[in-house]
Amino acid sequence: MSNWLESAVTRAETVSDWLSPKREASLALLREAKVPTRKTEAWKYTPVRAIDQVTVSTEVSASVQVESIDDLNSVDLVFINGEFDAAQSSSELPAGLTVSRLVDADDSARAWALSAFSNIKPDRHLFGLVNDVLATDGALIDVAEGVEIEQPIRIVSLLTQGAEAHTRVLVRLAERSKVAIVEQFLGNEASYNTGFAEYDVAAEAELEHYRFATQVNEALSIGGSHFNLGEKAQLNSTLIGFGSKLSRVDVDVTHAGSHAFAKMNVIYLLDGKELFDLHSTVEHAVPHGTTEENVRGIVADHAKVVFNGRIHIHRNAQKTLAELNNRNLLMSRTAEINTKPELEIYADDVRCAHGATIAELDKKALYYMQSRGLSRSQAQVMLNFGFINELVEQMPNQVLAEWLRPQLKARFAQMEVG
Amino acid sequence: MMSSEKVLLKIDNLSAKVEEKSILKGLSLEVKPGEVHAIMGPNGAGKSTLGYVLSGREGYEVQSGSATLDGVDLLEMEAEERARAGLFLAFQYPVEIPGVSNLEFMKASVDAQREARGETSLSSAEFLRLAKAACKQVDLPLAFLKRGVNEGFSGGEKKRNELMQMLLLQPKLCILDESDSGLDIDALQVVAEGVNSQRTEDRSFIIVTHYQRLLDYIKPDYVHVLADGKIIRSGDASLALELEEQGYAWLTEKEA
Repeated sequence: MSNWLESAVTRAETVSDWLSPKREASLALLREAKVPTRKTEAWKYTPVRAIDQVTVSTEVSASVQVESIDDLNSVDLVFINGEFDAAQSSSELPAGLTVSRLVDADDSARAWALSAFSNIKPDRHLFGLVNDVLATDGALIDVAEGVEIEQPIRIVSLLTQGAEAHTRVLVRLAERSKVAIVEQFLGNEASYNTGFAEYDVAAEAELEHYRFATQVNEALSIGGSHFNLGEKAQLNSTLIGFGSKLSRVDVDVTHAGSHAFAKMNVIYLLDGKELFDLHSTVEHAVPHGTTEENVRGIVADHAKVVFNGRIHIHRNAQKTLAELNNRNLLMSRTAEINTKPELEIYADDVRCAHGATIAELDKKALYYMQSRGLSRSQAQVMLNFGFINELVEQMPNQVLAEWLRPQLKARFAQMEVG
Repeated sequence: MMSSEKVLLKIDNLSAKVEEKSILKGLSLEVKPGEVHAIMGPNGAGKSTLGYVLSGREGYEVQSGSATLDGVDLLEMEAEERARAGLFLAFQYPVEIPGVSNLEFMKASVDAQREARGETSLSSAEFLRLAKAACKQVDLPLAFLKRGVNEGFSGGEKKRNELMQMLLLQPKLCILDESDSGLDIDALQVVAEGVNSQRTEDRSFIIVTHYQRLLDYIKPDYVHVLADGKIIRSGDASLALELEEQGYAWLTEKEA
């Protein structure tokens, strides 16, 4: 018996808008769906019962200020508890960029959105289906052909105590266009949200993507970023996960056109009893695709990480280059890491590698640093930072990297060797 | 040489073990300010262990005896407190720390030591100036300041990097653990000149080495032979020459 699943189905029946034809299909799947249990492979280590324990309030305070990111000069789209906040969002858009809300999309936005909605995100994501049927607000972002948008677009989803929200983002990069998109999730009090984004990256377009899944404590956050890459399209994605009572991200990348390039860097840092679960799937459906996926994390105290990274190389995806690497640093004997890198290869002329390591903090390095006068905790913060800094340095946007560093350091300072 | 009566480092009858194996067996040594002591001896005698025990490496357990720096009990302190008290160990095998830049590491180390002494930390610009000068002095390209600590450095580059840290930290007592091993003659001279430039009336050195060669460039005040966990013979610089010619066998046999 499940309240959240039943409740989603019940409420979905009252949702009626221009997306309804698409929502119907997802609702049908949802009606057949079962609540994941320990035996459900995709949720084996991640219990979802916490969702039923959130007291969702219909009257949540929505007057919260979202902090801007200094020097980022971003186009901000702010959603508070799932609802667009025009006052905190940017009103002026650079040329070549069209942004509309789900609720007031015009005919041309609807036309492309209908073809993208739920077509890039695979149906197997249960909470993706929940988002399909319940997300009534969100952003449709359309970048015109050949246009390079210099300002990053920052989509903030902030949740307050007692809120439940479902937001959807659809992004279309027309051929040879270029844009950076930041998905930022905020709010650490008891709340429940699903946030899914679908990206259609056309031929030769370049997408710089960030997802900051940095909600901690009581926030239950489930979502995904899903990408469809056209010929010679480029994706450079950075995902930061902090973990909370329940934090789950699904990432899917489909190489639909040949010679596409996908780089994905993931950093997760967990403390206390936090949980972070990342499932990523890369589909190489066509030849000459390249994927570089680097996932690194540090897990302290009683925290738990689940990483399932799958690269699937289809029969005709010859000349694929794919690498998947997961490195973990375990800070305590009570921390838990469940990692499962998977390569599934049906083509015979490919170059692929995958691996996962779990290590403890290097005692020799700690001593070396202490022997220079650094305290053990200082040394530890430095070592930890060194472990992930390589990925931070690779962030294409250095303003974001600078903004992120002190947050990561603050996290490290909390973590204790156990 | 200073004729000071003050003792900087005083090790008295020190015994220590590693993983249940006794390595130091009643070692005594006194180092006065400004002195340079060379410690030579066969492999496995406990030369590196002495440096680790004094600097506070985990797993090196003191069984008996004492060691004081400037009259303060070293053995009761954490590793970082010993460093802040003025002890510096140049490692035989410096540790690689990928992702942490040399400059950042050294700045943090110097800041930590200054803070412990109640001094304000240096500005980034001030420190960079000092670091560049130190880097030049040990003959490493300035790019090494930006690189990860010892990451991918050759053996010789690591040794010079240790020396650079020493130049910046300005310790009272420097223990050089085989800082000459794996160095060609040019690099050896760089290391020797670096050490010599730091010789002052107050700063002392313990130079652990297998070879007389380094001592041609750094003239020691005393040479000690460490064998089977204790000092079995002490002399002046000429002892090193004798050892070079005759090895250790004649000494250890006499002991037995």
